[in-house]
Formats: sequence, structure tokens, C-alpha cells
Amino acid sequence: MKDLRLERDVQTSTNKIEARKVQVYYGTNHALKDVDVDILDKTVTAFIGPSGCGKSTFLRCLNRMNDTVASARVEGIITLEGENIYDARVDPVQLRAKIGMVFQKPNPFPKSIYDNVAYGPKIHGLTRNKAELDEVVEGCLRKAALWNEVKDRLQSPGTGLSGGQQQRLCIARAIATSPEVLLMDEPCSALDPIATAQVEELIDELRSQFSVVIVTHSMQQAARVSQKTAFFHLGHLVEYGETGTIFTNPKDPRTESYITGRIG
Amino acid sequence: MTAIDPTGAAGPSSGVTGHSLFAPDQRTNARNASEKRFRAYGVVAITLALLALLWLLISIFSAGLPAFRQTFIEIPVTLDAAVLDKAGHGDPKEMASVTTIGYGKQIAKALAEEVKAKGVDAGTLTDKEIGEMVSEDSAANLRNMVLANPKLLGTTVQFQALANGRIDGYFKGRVTMETAARDKNTSPEKLMLADKLRAAGVVVMKFNPGFLTMTDASDKRPEAAGLGVAIIGSLYMMFVVLCLALPIGVAASVYLEEFAPKNRWTDLIEVNIANLAAVPSIVYGILGLGIFINIGGLPRSAPIVGGLVLTLMTLPRIIIPTRAALKAVPPSIRDAALGVGASKLQTVTHHVLPLAMPGVLTGTIIGLAQALGETAPLLLIGMVAFVKDFPGAPPSGLFDPSSALPVQIYNWTQRGDPGFVERASGAIIVLLAFLIVMNTAAIILRRKYERRW
Amino acid sequence: MSLGLLCLLLLALAVLGYVLGQRKAISSAGGDIRKLHSLPNFYGSITALSVIVPTAALLVVWLFAEGFVIQSNALSHILPADVPADSSMNLVMADVTRLAAGLATLAGQGADVAALAKDPVALKTALGGAGVAMGHDPNPSMIAAAQAVESTAWLSRLLLTVLALALGVAGAAWGLSRIKPEFRARNETERVAMGLLIAASLIAVLTTVGIVLSLFSETVHFFQLYPASQFFFSASWNPKFGGGSDLGIWPLVWGTLYVSVISLIVAVPIGLLSAIYLAEYASKSVRSVVKPLIEILAGIPTIVYGLFALITVGPLLRDFIAQPMGWGNSASSVMTAGLVMGIMVIPFVSSLSDDIINAVPQSLRDGSLGLGATPSETIRQVVIPAALPGIVGAVLLAASRAIGETMIVVLGAGAAAKLSLNPFEAMTTVTVKIVSQLTGDTEFNSPETLVAFALGLTLFTLTLCLNIVALVIVRKYREQYE
Repeated sequence: MKDLRLERDVQTSTNKIEARKVQVYYGTNHALKDVDVDILDKTVTAFIGPSGCGKSTFLRCLNRMNDTVASARVEGIITLEGENIYDARVDPVQLRAKIGMVFQKPNPFPKSIYDNVAYGPKIHGLTRNKAELDEVVEGCLRKAALWNEVKDRLQSPGTGLSGGQQQRLCIARAIATSPEVLLMDEPCSALDPIATAQVEELIDELRSQFSVVIVTHSMQQAARVSQKTAFFHLGHLVEYGETGTIFTNPKDPRTESYITGRIG
Repeated sequence: MTAIDPTGAAGPSSGVTGHSLFAPDQRTNARNASEKRFRAYGVVAITLALLALLWLLISIFSAGLPAFRQTFIEIPVTLDAAVLDKAGHGDPKEMASVTTIGYGKQIAKALAEEVKAKGVDAGTLTDKEIGEMVSEDSAANLRNMVLANPKLLGTTVQFQALANGRIDGYFKGRVTMETAARDKNTSPEKLMLADKLRAAGVVVMKFNPGFLTMTDASDKRPEAAGLGVAIIGSLYMMFVVLCLALPIGVAASVYLEEFAPKNRWTDLIEVNIANLAAVPSIVYGILGLGIFINIGGLPRSAPIVGGLVLTLMTLPRIIIPTRAALKAVPPSIRDAALGVGASKLQTVTHHVLPLAMPGVLTGTIIGLAQALGETAPLLLIGMVAFVKDFPGAPPSGLFDPSSALPVQIYNWTQRGDPGFVERASGAIIVLLAFLIVMNTAAIILRRKYERRW
Repeated sequence: MSLGLLCLLLLALAVLGYVLGQRKAISSAGGDIRKLHSLPNFYGSITALSVIVPTAALLVVWLFAEGFVIQSNALSHILPADVPADSSMNLVMADVTRLAAGLATLAGQGADVAALAKDPVALKTALGGAGVAMGHDPNPSMIAAAQAVESTAWLSRLLLTVLALALGVAGAAWGLSRIKPEFRARNETERVAMGLLIAASLIAVLTTVGIVLSLFSETVHFFQLYPASQFFFSASWNPKFGGGSDLGIWPLVWGTLYVSVISLIVAVPIGLLSAIYLAEYASKSVRSVVKPLIEILAGIPTIVYGLFALITVGPLLRDFIAQPMGWGNSASSVMTAGLVMGIMVIPFVSSLSDDIINAVPQSLRDGSLGLGATPSETIRQVVIPAALPGIVGAVLLAASRAIGETMIVVLGAGAAAKLSLNPFEAMTTVTVKIVSQLTGDTEFNSPETLVAFALGLTLFTLTLCLNIVALVIVRKYREQYE
């Protein structure tokens, strides 16, 4: 496996998402405190930290998935290209088409492989006819490095694929709405090492078109795939910076403890 | 150019990307509208279901509540010893030769005298017609009263006679002057007299405890019909069901959940129990008729047969929740007991069953409540017969003919006199009251002892 | 001796056995219970069980056989000539039973029963005096039969009492004789207890066997009297109690299906949409109020719905829809029964669908919402397709419930067997006809009565198939997401 750290090339691109003073409450529990983050375009950003540190919570704030949890309350400002996504005029439905999401466990719908990928374009009305849709589906499956494995059985159910294939199908499904940002919540935690390697390689390729935010439990994975890393601890964003710097020369003692395996 | 370039190189022209989030496009508006409609369907469906419930309850209660109030005629009746005890010995056996007709005449006479005494204008009504305003059943009540206490002979008692069903119906709005004019059992004159008597305080309307204690009455006397036999019969059947279904159901559940090997045979038993819970109840009636009555020779209309049939019907409905309650007890408790050397049976009886007991009892009460309201199987085993006498004390009383609440309701709906609709609805209120008590008990039990592991 | 007293005596014997067994075990160990194989109460239990199990078995078998023996004994006294032309064996036997009871009452009042038995006329007067009404004048063979009933019953009870008590004492003695310190009382008790547990779980199987046997035997009997081809293929139902009836099942099946379909048309949309709203949209507090309220509908006895159809819905539909539109004049109709049954079925659809929708994994919803689908798109395109097998199972169970429902159709649908399309006409169903053919004084040798068993078998088979298909579907569905 090639070590991506060696050829790390952080582009000095524009900020895609800016988060300022984000607070999240679950009922009376203050789960996330004063988080400020700038997420760059065409970059892989990794969120690391021990379980329950708020990294998944923050990820779910970025496309307002926390709206679906009745007890959750979000404060602060998160902007996508300068527009506050928590503004009253913003429809989360439209927002989520721009900021796609891939989940921890592969969750293909109980439909055919084709219909899984076509789901997003269909509900958002992105294509004008069947031929266009076919093209989108093929393009996304190719980008997800799944096309060659499934091109002969597009009509068989997506639940019949292996775990790694299912997760790549979910990635294909997520990029079919051509989002600008792709959020991934521990996308490899339910996969074996070989499938993990395939997905990681895919993530690196996706960087050329999307801004990718990945939550991961594995520091090695963060080191392998990301250019920027944010370390969360007990609801605080402790440290955020170049992945290389975080792993080799952390400023905060808590980050160092975590990276060297003393906490978490 | 396609809406999305499959290579992703160029920006799509669609309304999703490259578009301000603050300006929702048409398609999103349409989708949000459809979202609102879909939510509204759900609200409408729930509203319809709840309105149906409300409609049902209002309809039954408005028709049934009047059954708890009854019109009485309060008059002093002189018990003429010369008429009622011709031999003059005060011996109840001899007095029994005077039938209810003899007593009826006494009441009629007393009422006619009362009308005159109060100075009420009876119009063109004859004394006989005035007498018809009293329920025919009152004579039997008076007779029983005298036979039970012969010393009353020769005295004047303040007697509370049931008014005839039409008079009662008039005060409850069921009978009007127009319908009375076409009715050979009453007449507008009688209703007018009833009005005057009510003003004079002779005719009164008040709570009628007899509805719960009296026996059934014949077709023409809805005013005298009560639920006494039906309530006793239902209680007897519930007693049988409780005594049989609870132990058998618990034993079967314990075996299936704790001891049975998992093989095709127990799988079959399991499917079989699930199916039995969904077999139409009337099929259990056919079973009761075929097995308990035709082959077993048990008597028709008897609470024991009803109880047995309802037991078989209730068993699967007890077994299913009981097994769920047993399953909910965590294996660690079994391991702990087995670990200190208890036998498997001791483990179950000392530890698992007591912990599962609230669930078992809740299931049993709900099963009993269902059995209490069940009608169809009881029709087939003859419980629909007209029963005028209370059954004896158990256990032999379990073999006496009896009625049951739901069957009594059905029976009354088949009668011609509209007064029985009120009785049937009233009986439903009684039935629902029992069910509410049972279900509340089940809910309290569940709330109080519910345990999550 | 009365049955209750006998049971009490046997119970007392069992308690005595328990105490004695415990004592004997302790004394056999010289007062040191550590020398016993099992705890003393197991020695007591096994002794008590050796009283209870055999005597209880004897009681049940005896009581069951007794009725049969008495009946056949009495029947042997009645000659075919004794059955009046306008009556039947069953009615005569009912009179015999009443006569037997009357004779017992008379004997209790000190009358000379032997003399009365020789004089039917005097007997009838005497019976009338004792408050026993007879359908027919008692003739000599009936009196003989009644006396046989009485004497057999008396003899049977006496024998039972003696035998049961003897068996109880013998059981106790045998149980006590086995008690020694090394006797494995616990294992023995548990073996018996296990046998009882197995017997209890077999009752469910026996119930099914009983249902099938009782339906099947009488159905065979029916087809001996009435051609099966007519039953299955005739389109007319017209029973005449003088014979020459048409007993075709189709009008009844048609009515049943028509009512059931209407009820499902009412219940499935309302039940399913309510379930969806409660599972996906409603807040916790709304759910905790509305769900139990809807489930009240399932707890209301069907007779209540029947009365509701009879006094409220039926007249309403007739006065405001059927009569103004000229569609019919009957308050009881397919529409009345179907509508009310639909209300009854709502909670069956909604509770089961609610469970099933809740079993759909949250990850599927997240996946769809994360792609920017609205909740309703998620429900319609992801949740419902995923839950579909389970929902189909729920609807099938509801259909089975509707087909087997009796009281609502008895009171709401009417009694006329018709093959008509007009839902405002009165029609009848399989269950209504089972009730009407089997209530009242019935005799079990005319096709008009026995047809009820063939109808019952049809109903049982139909609902069995629906239930099993539904149960299998729901079970498979649950396993899929467990």
C-alpha cells in the first residue's frame, strides 16, 4: 500500500465550508462546544478522536442530518460557499443534494443496483430521459470502481453484493447527485482490510472532484487518506491542521496522547 | 449536454448544484408540497380512526345510558287477605295457588284508586286500562314479596311497581303520541295520564339497580329485563377459563420456551399455536358443539361448556405473551441459578417464572378480557337460550343453564320491542365497564412491574 | 356424592400425602435431612403427585365417557316408532333428559315414582305440578329411558366416587412405600412435572386435531346426504327444513368476500397511513396517546360493533344514501357490515404495520435522507418497499380476521343469500349461515344442519391458508432485519 503522506500536496484552494462557534445539544447534553473549522475544496479532511468525542455529530451537522433527531439542537454558523446552511430559507433537502453522505454500515436500499444509483437523480429530477440516467449510473459506478464487477447484473438486488461492494455502491449512490462535498462516517469500519484498501483508494481519487470529509476511528487511515486532520476530544475541537503536522508534531498534549495511544 | 456529466468534469446545468441554497427551485417546492400532502394523509387517517371510535362510543352510550334509569309507579297496595289467601292460614304453600293474575288485579285496583285519590283526571280510560300502565312483571314481584313474608297480608304496603315499557319509553323519548296512536299496546290517553301522574309524584324516574340484578324477561316486557343471569354466567365462565387457561398456558409456554428441543416437531407446535390465535372464533363454537356437547354429552347452555370453549380459544392468546415474557428474562439469570447447582426446573420455577410473572399476568388479563367479549362460539353451544333462573352455586352450578353478557346482548337485539335496543346498549356499557377495569388492571400491572434488562 | 365434594376429598388426600411423604422421608433419614437424596418437600410432592395425577386422569376420562354411555343406554330404550313424525330423535332425547330430571325432583318431594312411572297421564300432571314442562306426552319407552338415564347416572357417580377414592388411597400408599433416603425424589418429581408440561403444550395440538376431526367427520356425514358437486357448484342457497334444499356455497362465499373486501378498502388505507404517520412523523407524546386510542378499537368486542351496525350505521346508510339514490331499502347490507368491519380491522392493520415499519433499519432512512430525499420520498420509495412483505402479511392477517368475523355480519349484513353486485343490498356470509343453521333445536342428521360443518371446514381451510402464508411471510421478514 502506498503511503500517501509522501506525496501529500495540499492545494491552497478556497474554503468550501466554514463553521463558526458551532454548539450541539442533545436534550440537555452539550455534545459539541465552540467548533470552528474551515474545510477546503478538493481536499480530504479527516475527523479523528475517541468514541463519543463529537466527530460524527459534527459531521452530521454539515448536511443537517441532525435535523432528523428530534432532541438535537444546533447553534452557531455553518456556511457552504458563504451561505449559512442553517438559514431559515435553506431547504435541507436541497442542501443534502449538494452535500452527500456515506454511512458507517453499507446501507444499500432493497432495490436493484441500478435503482440504488439512480435513486438520487430520480428524486432530484436531474435527468431528462432514460438514456441520460443510464449514462449517470454508469459514470458513477465507474467512478466508484464498481462498474466492471456489476455491469452484467445491474438489475440484481444491491443487498446481494459483498460488504466492500455494497459500500462502493453507496458511494456511487452518493455521488450520483453530483454533490460538492462528500461526508463519510467511518465508511470502512464494517469492511475487511482488502475492501478497506479499495475504498481508501477510491477516496483519494474522489478528491479530484469533491471535497471529502471522513470520520474515522483508525489513525492510520486518517494518515493514509487525508490532507487535513481535525482532532476532537470531549466535544471540543482540540487541534486542526495539516495531517502531517498533526501526526508528527502535534501542538496540543491531548492530541499527542491520543496519537501515541495513551487516551481513547 | 446532459444534466450531469458522467465524467463529472463540467458543472451540471440542473437546479441542484451551482445554485444558491437560499433560492428554492420549482421542483423542490413541488416536492415539499407533496411532502405536506403526504403528512396530511396520515393526519386524516388517524383523525378518521379516532372519529370512528368516538362515533361508536357516543352511539352506544347515548342509546344505552337510559337503561340505567327506569320509570316506577309508587302506589300503596292493600294486600287483601280474602283474595290472596282464601284458606286464611297464612301458609305460603296454599297461597301459591293464587297466580300473578290475582296480584295484578290488586295492583291495578290500587293504581285506579290512587288516580282518584290524587284527583287526577283519567279522561276516558277505564280502570282496566289504567292498570295496564303497570308492567306485568310487577305482579310477580309483589307475589314473591308476599310469599316470602305472609305477614304482609291484610296490610297496605307502599309498592314500587315497574311502569309498562311504553310508558317508560315515553319518558325516554322512544315513544311519542303519534307512535302511541298506532300502537295497540298503549294509547295517547295513557301517556297523557302518565304525564299527569308524574306531575302528581306517583310516577317517578330513578336509577334502576334491577338492570344489573334482575333476570331476563319475556319479549313484551323490556322494562323488567335485567342482566343478573348473564353477569353470573359470564363470571362462571371466566372462572373456568382462569382456572384452566392460566396453568395450562404457563405450563405449555415454560415447556416450549425453556425445555423443548428446537426441531421440526416444536416448530410445528409453534406455527400451530400462532394459527390457533387467528382461527375464527366461531370455529371454536363448532368444536365445542361437536366435542363437548355431541360426544362428551355435556349440557347445552352450561357455563362449563362455554368456559371450556373459551379456554381453548384463550390458550394461544396466553401462551404467546407468556413466551415473550419468558424470553425477555436474560440468560444470565438462568446461568446464575444453574451455576449454583439448581436443576433446570428449579431454575425456572424459582427464578425465571417469578421474574416473568408481571408479563404473564398482563397477558392473561388481556386474554380473559377478549374471552369475556366473545359471542359467536357461545351462540353455537346454546347459550342464546332464554334463561329465567339463576344457576346454582359452583361447581354443580357450572352445569346449569345460564346466559352470558355478550350473548344476552345478541339475544336482546333479536327481540321485536324497541325497548330491548336500549337494554342491549345498556348491557354493552356494563360489558365495556368490565373490560375497562380488566385492561386498566393490565396496564397498571405492566407500568408498575415493567422491567428492562 | 357431589363432584365438588369428591374433588375436595381428593385434594385433601393429596395434601395428606404431601405431609406424610415429607415426614416419612425425614424419619427414614433419622431426622438428618442431609442424608436424603433430595429435599424433603420433593418426597412430599412426589407422594401428592401420585395421588393427583391418576385420579385426575380418571375423573376427566370418566366424566367424558359417562355422558356417552348414559346417552347410548337411554337410546337403546327408544324405538324408532316412539319418535313422533313431526319430531326428531334429538327432541325426544331432550324430553328424556327433562323427564329424568323431573323424576328426580318428584322423588325428592317424596312422590311414589314407581307408581307414577306406570301411569303416563298421572306422571305428566305430577311433572306439571313440579314445574317440569314436556314437549311430548311421556310414553312408556321414554319413561323407561328416563329411568335408565337416572339409574345409570346414579350408578356411574357411585362407581366413580369409589374408584377415585380407592385410586387416590392406593396412589398415596404406593408413593409412601417408595420413600427411602436414597430415593431420587427430585428427579422423579421433575420427570412427572416435565410430563405435565409436555401434556400442557400438547393441548394446543389436540385443539387443532379436535377442530379438524369434528369438522371433518360431520362434513363427510353431510356429503353422504347431499351431493358434493351441488354444494361446490350450485349458485343457489335455499334451505328448506322439509327437504329438497339447495345448499350451494357460492352465494355465501360471494357475500363473505364482498364484505371482507369492503372492510379492507376501509381499513388498509386508514390503518397503513396511521401506522406510517405514527412510526415516521408523530412525536413521542402524540404517539403515546394516539396508539393506545387506536388499539382500543381492537379491544372492543365484536358484538358491540354488531350493535353499532344494527342501530346506527345501517339506518344511516339506508336513510341518507341507499334510499335517496334508489339503491335499496335495507338497513342491513354489505356496505353496513363492510364499513363497520373496516373500523374493527383498522387496529389489526395499523399495529402490525407499525411494528413492521419500525423494524426497517434506521440506516436505510439515513441513506435516503442523506441523499436529499424528503421524508415522504424516503417512506414511499425506501421504507415501504423494504417493509412490503411484512405489510402484505399484516393485510392477509386482517383479511383472515374479516373473513372469519361473525357478529358484525350476523347483525349488519342480513340473512338473504344473493349473488348481487349492489353493496346496499342485504347479503349473507358463511359465518352467518353457520350460526343460523346451528342455533336453536337442531338435529344432526339433516343436510340443512350438517351443511354448517361443511361451511365451517371451508372457513377453517380458507383462514388457515391465509394465516399460514401471512405468518410465514411476517416471520421471514422479521428474521431478515434481526
